[in-house]
Amino acid sequence: MSVISLVALALLVMVAGGFYMGRTRAIKQVAGRSSELHSLPNYYGYYVALWTGFPALLLLAAYGLFGAASTHSWTVAELRAQAHEMSAQFEGDLAANSEYVQLESTLESLELTVNGLREELARLRRANDADRDPHLIQLRLEEQRSSRALLALAGTSIEDYRTGVATGMLVTARETGVAASIRAGFFLTHSDIVRAELFMSDARKIARGETPSELLPELEIVASRLTDHQNTLRNSVGLLVLALAAIALLWTRSQIQPQFRARNNVERLTTVLLIAASILSIITTIGIVLSMLFESMRFFSIIPIQDFLFGLHWSPQIAIREDQLGQSGAFGAIPLFAGTAMITLIAMLVAVPIGLFSAIYLSEYAAPKFRTIAKPVLEVLAGVPTVVFGFFALLTVGPAIRALFTSLGFESAVTQSALSAGLVMGVMIIPFISSLSDDVINAVPQSLRDGSYAMGATRSETVVHVVIPAALPGIFGAVLLAISRAIGETMIVVMAAGQGANLTANPLESVTTITVQIVALLTGDLEFEGPKTLSAFALGLTLFAVTLLMNVIALRVVQKYREKYD
Amino acid sequence: MTTAQAQATLYHDIPEARDVKVAIAGVDVHYGDKQALFDVSMQIPDRSVTAFIGPSGCGKSTFLRCVNRMNDTIDGAVVTGSLKIDGTEINDKTIDPVVLRASVGMVFQKPNPFPKSIYDNVAYGPKIHGLAATREELDGIVEQSLVKAGLWGEVSDRLTDPGTSLSGGQQQRLVIARAIAVNPEVILMDEPCSALDPIATAKVEELIDELRENYCIIMVTHSMAQAARVSQMTAFFHLGNLVEYGPTEEIFTNPRERRTQDYITGRFG
Amino acid sequence: MTEPSKKAATREIVERNLPARYRSESRFRTAGIVAIIVSVIILVLLIGSIGLKSLPAYTAWQIHLPVALDQALVDPEGDSSEASIRQGSFGRVLQNGMRETFPDVSGRSNMRSLFQLYTSLNSTRLMDQVIADPGLIGSDYVFTMPLGDDLDLYLKGMLVEDRSVEMNGVLEIEAGRRRTNIQSQSADFAIVLAELQQMMIDEALSLESRAAANRTLMASVDAEEADRLNEEAARFDQRAQVLRTDAAGENGQLELSDDLPSVIVEFRGGAIRMNRLDLNGQGGSGESILSIAENRSDEAWTLYVVDTPQARRRIPDNQLIWTRALVERGIVTQAFNHYFFANADSREPELAGIRGALNGSILTLIVTLLLSIPVGIATAIYLEEFAPKNKFTDLIEVNINNLAAVPSIIFGLLGVAIFIDVFSLPRGTPVLGGLVLSLMTLPTIIIATRASLKAVPPSIRQAALGVGASRTQSVFHHVLPLATPGILTGSIIGLSRALGETAPLLMIGMVAFIADAPKLSLEGFTEPATVLPVQIYLWYSAAERAFEPRAAAAIIVLLTLIISFNAVAVYLRRKFERRW
Ligand SMILES: Nc1ncnc2c1ncn2[C@@H]1O[C@H](COP(=O)(O)OP(=O)(O)OP(=O)(O)O)[C@@H](O)[C@H]1O
Ligand SMILES: [Mg+2]
Repeated sequence: MSVISLVALALLVMVAGGFYMGRTRAIKQVAGRSSELHSLPNYYGYYVALWTGFPALLLLAAYGLFGAASTHSWTVAELRAQAHEMSAQFEGDLAANSEYVQLESTLESLELTVNGLREELARLRRANDADRDPHLIQLRLEEQRSSRALLALAGTSIEDYRTGVATGMLVTARETGVAASIRAGFFLTHSDIVRAELFMSDARKIARGETPSELLPELEIVASRLTDHQNTLRNSVGLLVLALAAIALLWTRSQIQPQFRARNNVERLTTVLLIAASILSIITTIGIVLSMLFESMRFFSIIPIQDFLFGLHWSPQIAIREDQLGQSGAFGAIPLFAGTAMITLIAMLVAVPIGLFSAIYLSEYAAPKFRTIAKPVLEVLAGVPTVVFGFFALLTVGPAIRALFTSLGFESAVTQSALSAGLVMGVMIIPFISSLSDDVINAVPQSLRDGSYAMGATRSETVVHVVIPAALPGIFGAVLLAISRAIGETMIVVMAAGQGANLTANPLESVTTITVQIVALLTGDLEFEGPKTLSAFALGLTLFAVTLLMNVIALRVVQKYREKYD
Repeated sequence: MTTAQAQATLYHDIPEARDVKVAIAGVDVHYGDKQALFDVSMQIPDRSVTAFIGPSGCGKSTFLRCVNRMNDTIDGAVVTGSLKIDGTEINDKTIDPVVLRASVGMVFQKPNPFPKSIYDNVAYGPKIHGLAATREELDGIVEQSLVKAGLWGEVSDRLTDPGTSLSGGQQQRLVIARAIAVNPEVILMDEPCSALDPIATAKVEELIDELRENYCIIMVTHSMAQAARVSQMTAFFHLGNLVEYGPTEEIFTNPRERRTQDYITGRFG
Repeated sequence: MTEPSKKAATREIVERNLPARYRSESRFRTAGIVAIIVSVIILVLLIGSIGLKSLPAYTAWQIHLPVALDQALVDPEGDSSEASIRQGSFGRVLQNGMRETFPDVSGRSNMRSLFQLYTSLNSTRLMDQVIADPGLIGSDYVFTMPLGDDLDLYLKGMLVEDRSVEMNGVLEIEAGRRRTNIQSQSADFAIVLAELQQMMIDEALSLESRAAANRTLMASVDAEEADRLNEEAARFDQRAQVLRTDAAGENGQLELSDDLPSVIVEFRGGAIRMNRLDLNGQGGSGESILSIAENRSDEAWTLYVVDTPQARRRIPDNQLIWTRALVERGIVTQAFNHYFFANADSREPELAGIRGALNGSILTLIVTLLLSIPVGIATAIYLEEFAPKNKFTDLIEVNINNLAAVPSIIFGLLGVAIFIDVFSLPRGTPVLGGLVLSLMTLPTIIIATRASLKAVPPSIRQAALGVGASRTQSVFHHVLPLATPGILTGSIIGLSRALGETAPLLMIGMVAFIADAPKLSLEGFTEPATVLPVQIYLWYSAAERAFEPRAAAAIIVLLTLIISFNAVAVYLRRKFERRW
């Protein structure tokens, strides 16, 4: 059994023991006359048990979450530190290398040019109408583009040069018998993220006793370091947990006296825990907002916000590498907004009528028996994961639509079209709309219906002229929530809508959406920090802002509506 | 006196001067397994106000809903027996409740104006039934109904305001205007004043008294005083049975049944 | 107008308008029914089409290959130790087994093709079996492995168009060194021959019409484009010409290219792939695939035609023929596809399974459950039972309602920016996935719990407080137990949503290819894993066609899980539903 399981078990025993000890001690102190205690004996037990278990448990949970990560970074940091000399030598070699110095100075001058151009452009753009010189701006833009491409090229060659020299040094190091740990540290310092990740994952595999993709002495030494550190960390955390629990146990036990207000203490503690739990949701929101905002700001410091919001051209793939200031690649998000809007519109055209009519039929017409059958069907539809809808869209609906429209003479119809994504998304949203509207319609007071029937209205007249107008705010809220859901829906569009950022009004073409691009930008190769990755956060922020706005309005409206008829 | 004899006498208590508008014979109502009304028979005169009184849960509303077949909208409600308006049987599959309800209006305990403007509330019936061919005609109907309901003076300058923006008493008169806009023959009122303050109640009572000229009005009330004030005929229900029915003065001054007397004098109920 | 006549007129108008009103009533009602029916049909279509697509994944054609586990090959050190067995050449063992099964196959390229009936990953499986039971060393052993994915699809009738025609004229086979000639007494090949010729003529015609179309187009475009069109037309014409001469035959024979359907003559113990057909329809020549050709005559033989030309499929004729022979001999049989349920993901569809994803889902859900349920319930209790009504609690409330409607992908971004970048949690692990999903499900659970707490009538609380219980006691001893079914229902629904969630997990890197199922142990939580919905997404985007039925089958598994989750929730709700 692993150390951690043992510790957890021991903790459990201590908590149970703490409860028992607290209880018996309290009873013993009043010689069994429980009525002389301030609180019921159990509360003394709870008091000791809570303090024994909770802090220790938190520590254990933190270890569970961050243990592996800390072992990893500890090992990497240590290895890098060991390779410090070798790295210094590497930098020294490079500094002495005239070819490399040449490259670096080129890069610097290019950076200067690009920065200068950017400042100049900013100045030109800020200029007033009269002074504004569109021609010059155009000229500078082109210059900027070409110098950015050069800069990217220079960056690449510097990277390549460094990798080349580093690899050479590693080879000689192996031949001259430099320690494997130093070589590993050097490798981890100077290789790119992807290869370092692969290296470390192989090392972890060895540490776990599995077969890695290759066997190197470097890997083995890293693996043994990993194991060592893991054991050290695990044992010390285990000890700390037990120590914490034991100290808390003894301390709280010693507090127990007949007059000790155990119940009040326990209750205060529970309340604090409850409050802490509720604050977590606030922290989540703050986390979302801050992280998006922070990363987006970094993005907007590279790409001006107006270029992002109003640009007509989206092709982030051209953006070349990390750590470069100059970037080509277009980040105009209008095609994404348009694609999202089109798919959402199609989805709503499907979902609103079908969902609304289902809700009306179920609540106004259907016999109870029918309702008990039809409702679960809609519930099942609501529970279907979106990846399933995506699969359905691409393999069933897409080809069917393409076949239909090609036979009608639309040669341009494709399988991954806005139409198929929109239709399937509409299907996904039907149960959402129908259950929300069902709630809303059921909240319309019966007296209104009675009033209408008593006037001699038929059912449909009652629904159309009385029930729907009465439920309108609620239905509006439901539709708004559904729109926000459609905008944020990811898998269906990722699978069925395609990647091409076409700015088109033709639903038979493929379009792309905000969510598709977020996924594409973040699931590709691990390329952090570049505007390409950062743009995902800018898109995320936009998505969050738009859906938040809709949700707030929708929830307000629905709330007001509920209050009216409560 | 047996029930049969009592009911036999009841038939003769209709004042000769007024003709019978609604004739009920042997009506039973069941809600699922539960019987709510037992063998009710009575004749209700036209152009007068008939009041239903009785303790809570005795079946007044149920009986009232038989007259415009509102019980049809309740799952599991079954009405048997004969109900005739002007000699035409209405408790019959062949009679369309939609047509029937156009001529039997109903006003509920709580004012329930639709979420529409005052104008549209009153125009609702004429519109759905297609009673007005032109806009002017419709305007006319709306104005007339509001005038008849005594509300015109208060709302003529705010016809486009939502109906729910009126006070409770105004709302109830609006609902009455809505009911009379389709020219019904019978108006049913289920405790029309129980949600209103005394002043609003007085206004509505006044209105009912005026409407009596032209309509057959049947109302349920819990207020003895109100029954005595506005009704010409009174029926007393108890535990689903029609106990006694006759001219209001007689019921209140000289009830034939012990139970009626006890109820009116407040000994139970 | 007098009152009574006005009333009569009203009634008349009402009756006159009635039919039209009832028509629109029935239209409206029909619209409602249609909406419901559409939803039902879509659900049936969804589940039905995916269910149909998944069918091929439940069975697998397997090779039961007799192999000789020679000590020299599988245990080079000779000590039966694991280390020694790991150095064994199990690939060679399998190849020898195949060679034994088809002793007449010769030539390097033929051999290579033969070994492609199965994937070489199977040698590792064999090795594992020997490691598990070293007693096998030196014995003859029947090793069971799945047939290659394309051949599996072929046997399931999903790869090619083909047909067999039984023949009963006497067939004379005359073996040559390089080619085998066959001759039938009647014109048994005539129909196939005519079809093939017609096919070539049709192709030629279509090429010629395209050439003609190009030439008419030339008039309306610029010179450069016209030149290009003209050249293309010439190429079309030339190819049509070649086709026509080929179709006419040469030396009394029609040559069968790879662009034409394959014609295979099958007889007891052998098969000949035809290269040429005699124009008289009575025979032709070809190469013997199964056995070394010998002169013989046969009365019962079959003409097997594969209409999908060899050039347009991934598997050549000889693999088809071998596979058919193996089926005939009972070495290849169809069985329940246990690989799908027992294995983790694999590059080879025939070995790929959902086990890894299922374990990943379980681990992730455990984390979600442990984090979201206690915190969710605690929050709900606080807000519903303890919180004073003030700005701050209002804020929490509004915040939770909004969080419930935040797109799930945003939680993925949160995971990347905070948990990975700031806290440097390991990418793609169940801990991280569970953390992200629990933040996502938290609002659902809070809202459901609050609703069921709200449903407990105040009288219970007052009664508890009345007998001297504290607020905390009344909540934990009286209210909470009564609300448990509702809380449970809400939690199950929240978890079933988490089970089906994909997008945020894509973001945080749970898309890696995981060939070993993560262990259901403490270590499993911090190792990269994937989950069922993501596995579906990965398979759907894989190139091999055989992954498609597997993705569909994984969907069926996922839907079964989710629907049973929901069924349990509904059952609990019904069973404990209480009207106060
Ligand atoms: N929709 C229904 N379903 C089942 N039973 C009903 C329904 N409506 C009324 N009842 C039952 O029928 C009986 C008569 O009810 P009804 O509403 O007619 O009484 P009421 O005399 O109008 O009382 P109140 O003065 O309180 O309005 C009651 O016992 C009631 O429980
Ligand atoms: Mg009543």
